[in-house]
Amino acid sequence: MSHDIGFWTLQALNALQLSMLLFLLSIGLTVIFGLMHFVNLAHGSLYALGAYFAASLAAVGGYWMGFFLAPVAVAGVGMLLYTGLIKRMRKSGPMAQVLVTFGLIFAMLDLTRIFWGDLALAIEVPALLEGRLAFLGVEYPTYRLFVIALGALILGALAFVLGRTQIGAMIRAGVDNDAMAACLGINVERLFFIVFCVGCALAGLAGAVAAPLLSVTPDMGLQILIPTLIVIVIGGLGSLKGAIAGSLIYGVVQTFGAVLAPQLASVLIYALLAAVLVIRPVGLFPAKG
Amino acid sequence: MFRHNALRYTALVLLAAGALFQALTAEYFGLEILTEILILAILVLALDIVAGFGGMVSLCHGALMGVGAYAYALLSTKAGIAPPVAMAGAIALTGAIAWGIGAICSRSHGIYFIMATLAFGQMGYSYVFEAPIFGGDDGLGGIARLDLGLIGVDLNDSRSFALFCLAVLGAAYGAAVLILRSGLGRSLSGVMHNEQRMRALGLTVWRVKADVFGLSGMIAGVAGALAAQHVMYISPGLLSWTVSGEALVVVILGGLGTLVGPLIGAAAFVLLKHELSAITTYWHLVVGVLLIAVVMSRANGIFGWIEARWGARMERRIADAARKHQPEEVASDA
Amino acid sequence: MKRAILAALGLATGLAVPATAQDIKVGLLLPFSGVYAALGNDIEAGFTTALEQFGSETPATFEIIREDTEVKPPVALGKAKKLILQDKVDVMAGIVSSGVLGAVRDMVHGAGVPLIVANAGNDEATGAACSPYITRMSFSNGQVNRPMGQWMYDQGIRKVYTLAPDYAAGRQMIDGFAQTFTAAGGEIVGQEFTPFQKTQDFGPYLAQAKSSGAEAVFVFYAGGEAISFVKQYDSFGLKADLPLYGSGFLTSPLYVNAEGPAAEGVITALHYVPTIDSPANAQFVAAFTAKTGRVPSEFAVHGYDAGRALIEAVKAGATDRESLANALRLVSFEGPRGALSIDPATNNIIQPIYVYETVAGADGMTQKVLAQLPAEADPVNGCEMAAPVSN
Repeated sequence: MSHDIGFWTLQALNALQLSMLLFLLSIGLTVIFGLMHFVNLAHGSLYALGAYFAASLAAVGGYWMGFFLAPVAVAGVGMLLYTGLIKRMRKSGPMAQVLVTFGLIFAMLDLTRIFWGDLALAIEVPALLEGRLAFLGVEYPTYRLFVIALGALILGALAFVLGRTQIGAMIRAGVDNDAMAACLGINVERLFFIVFCVGCALAGLAGAVAAPLLSVTPDMGLQILIPTLIVIVIGGLGSLKGAIAGSLIYGVVQTFGAVLAPQLASVLIYALLAAVLVIRPVGLFPAKG
Repeated sequence: MFRHNALRYTALVLLAAGALFQALTAEYFGLEILTEILILAILVLALDIVAGFGGMVSLCHGALMGVGAYAYALLSTKAGIAPPVAMAGAIALTGAIAWGIGAICSRSHGIYFIMATLAFGQMGYSYVFEAPIFGGDDGLGGIARLDLGLIGVDLNDSRSFALFCLAVLGAAYGAAVLILRSGLGRSLSGVMHNEQRMRALGLTVWRVKADVFGLSGMIAGVAGALAAQHVMYISPGLLSWTVSGEALVVVILGGLGTLVGPLIGAAAFVLLKHELSAITTYWHLVVGVLLIAVVMSRANGIFGWIEARWGARMERRIADAARKHQPEEVASDA
Repeated sequence: MKRAILAALGLATGLAVPATAQDIKVGLLLPFSGVYAALGNDIEAGFTTALEQFGSETPATFEIIREDTEVKPPVALGKAKKLILQDKVDVMAGIVSSGVLGAVRDMVHGAGVPLIVANAGNDEATGAACSPYITRMSFSNGQVNRPMGQWMYDQGIRKVYTLAPDYAAGRQMIDGFAQTFTAAGGEIVGQEFTPFQKTQDFGPYLAQAKSSGAEAVFVFYAGGEAISFVKQYDSFGLKADLPLYGSGFLTSPLYVNAEGPAAEGVITALHYVPTIDSPANAQFVAAFTAKTGRVPSEFAVHGYDAGRALIEAVKAGATDRESLANALRLVSFEGPRGALSIDPATNNIIQPIYVYETVAGADGMTQKVLAQLPAEADPVNGCEMAAPVSN
């Protein structure tokens, strides 16, 4: 099979689109971990919840209502989780955290089934983003370009907030040494709360954005969890750079793996992860050396 | 390091008696559940060795069990090797793979270790799912049980098989205690408490971790070979990470690092699952909430909670006794 | 070896006593949780609809015991043992996934309990692994897709690219199609199997299909993957130049409304669509819709016909496991799908296949039947059917 340059452009865009979706998910997870040393396996469930909220809201007030309100709703759920569970679990070891959030996965999976049923839901792409655009010599679905642009926008915004603003400096201080940051008069507790909610909102946003591309099913959270974890472990926990690097690596390996070595496509990414862990046990760009 | 105390002995005796009673008197479905508990108990024993005594929280033990099951199935059906040899081969292979995983992951700690083992488990799952020799999604059937005709036992009878599994569990428990009391086990407990210091003392830390992980893998392989024989059919779902997650849940539910607790956890988990799934298809919700409650309570699982209460009582009693006599030794050291 | 397995499965400890003549205990073995829960619910609703509708034709009463397989083969086997050995059911029905069927096959065969398969389509179940106790009222993977090869060739299509998830059913569906399509003179210009239940983005494969030089694409996807695939296929604008064909599960009534306009114009083949124009189907659609508020899917009809087959068998005088097994193999009736019968050589259903196009209707997407292809028995595939032996 011969492929022209357009084919590779198309695949590169596919890789980028997948990367950006994963970036939206992994950035929340990784910053929460970096700051609070908290492992939230239920992050995927929040993503599924975002998709369900978006589907319900879109049915009432159209796509954009879901797009804007689903992240808010998921952040609300995040608030409840934080005050009810997470706050008390922060000092526990990683295993207790893994288990509590594992329990959350179970509980949230069945709760979505109870509220929304077992049948798959879907959201239509909004009229504005329907169709395709000519881009770099190929026709590419507008909605996918929107996902890429949105990912880039969030990346830019987070880079700005973390790098140039006071709250960003506080977060970085907290990631480096939370005890010291607290001594400097930073309200670490409130910082944790804000970061956790923003992380949840981003997971909800990822769900809302993914819903029109995929189908909304109860197990979508479980399906996305493993890729997200791979992204943050390859990238290194706690850093923006790690999240974006991990997402790009995952997107490229998955997409081009599917094209060039389809038999190995699903094993390839795990092999890569194992290799990274052997060479750099803390990932490529960890927050702390 | 692992020690028995009076409470642990009592719990073991009660568990063994309960299992034996059930094995001898239960009806067909009761035997099924008992066998399920016994096999799960072997798996969580293996997990407790690494997680409870080595701080290596593994999310690939389900996959290791799957390796044991598939290795036994392939060796005994496709390769036509006699079941006892196939079982030994399966255990050895699982141990070897676990040793490799342990060696590779030995430099990772905490959440990285969890993620790394998860990655290896998922790698195995994907591979088994896709390679045609493993039967793919449809799985493999026609797996035979061990032939113990020589000693007059027919394992194809459910009761005999349950008793056999009980015996194997007993042996696995003995092996676990031996491992933990050996020099290796003592080194492991040193590594868990202070890895730097053990390294400074000249210990090859990665070897200790890999060796223990390998031995634990062998026990998981035993569970796998038994699971394959119990169901006589295997499918890739056995290797899925949720199986490993559930095993971890059982260890926590029972009491991490107590060896006895996970056995109680296995029984509680399987019974709970069967009771709940008979009532509702949403039993995951109940298990999830229960798990959160157990972990949040900060007790070390069911057995940990009992032990803590018992310990407090014993301390009081010892304090009372100490006024008159020399303090008695509570724990029997090896 | 086989003896040993049978013994282990329960024959050694003596078997069930048949229930009283006119009380039939039915074990429904279906997934009510897990990825196939929606299918399990539809099959159960279809099954009970049939019992309500035709139950009065026989004086027998039916007691239903439902068990959740969770789509996990070991769980399903445990539940099957419970139904057979503890509840002592006379007959079992259900089974959605082929993996689960593979797991319980030796058990039901060994214990001599008739099983009416109400979904699982793997070719072996009525091929090399066939059993006189297992009667399939649903379909086989090859059966649904085989007629499509010739039909697409007759439409003037010569070059096709195929896609399916990488598991046994995916491969059998595509093989069934590819076999007849190439035999007719067509060419498969490219073929890809995507990681099952792990592929979220079909973009990479779609780009390959586009550059393969094919005139059409033939796929099999089901459930969530079907929705994602159809939507992504449409979003890349491939439908105009590269029409999408497939196995009818792709645009099943269960998912088609989630797919929405993206599914419009997709042409697929299946053994049932709710718009078949016949009195039997009209009656079924009305009864099912009244019961559930949904249009019946092919899964619902599997359950319905499984229930109907059981009643037909009881009407023929069957009362216990053995006589039910014998009677189920001889069942034939005019159902929503058309004239149905059981192939005595394999115990698989013989049924017509419908080619249909998904079109926009008054309320949501609906199905327009383009052709009814004649019923054909599956090849025997290594099945050596013995008559049921008495225990």
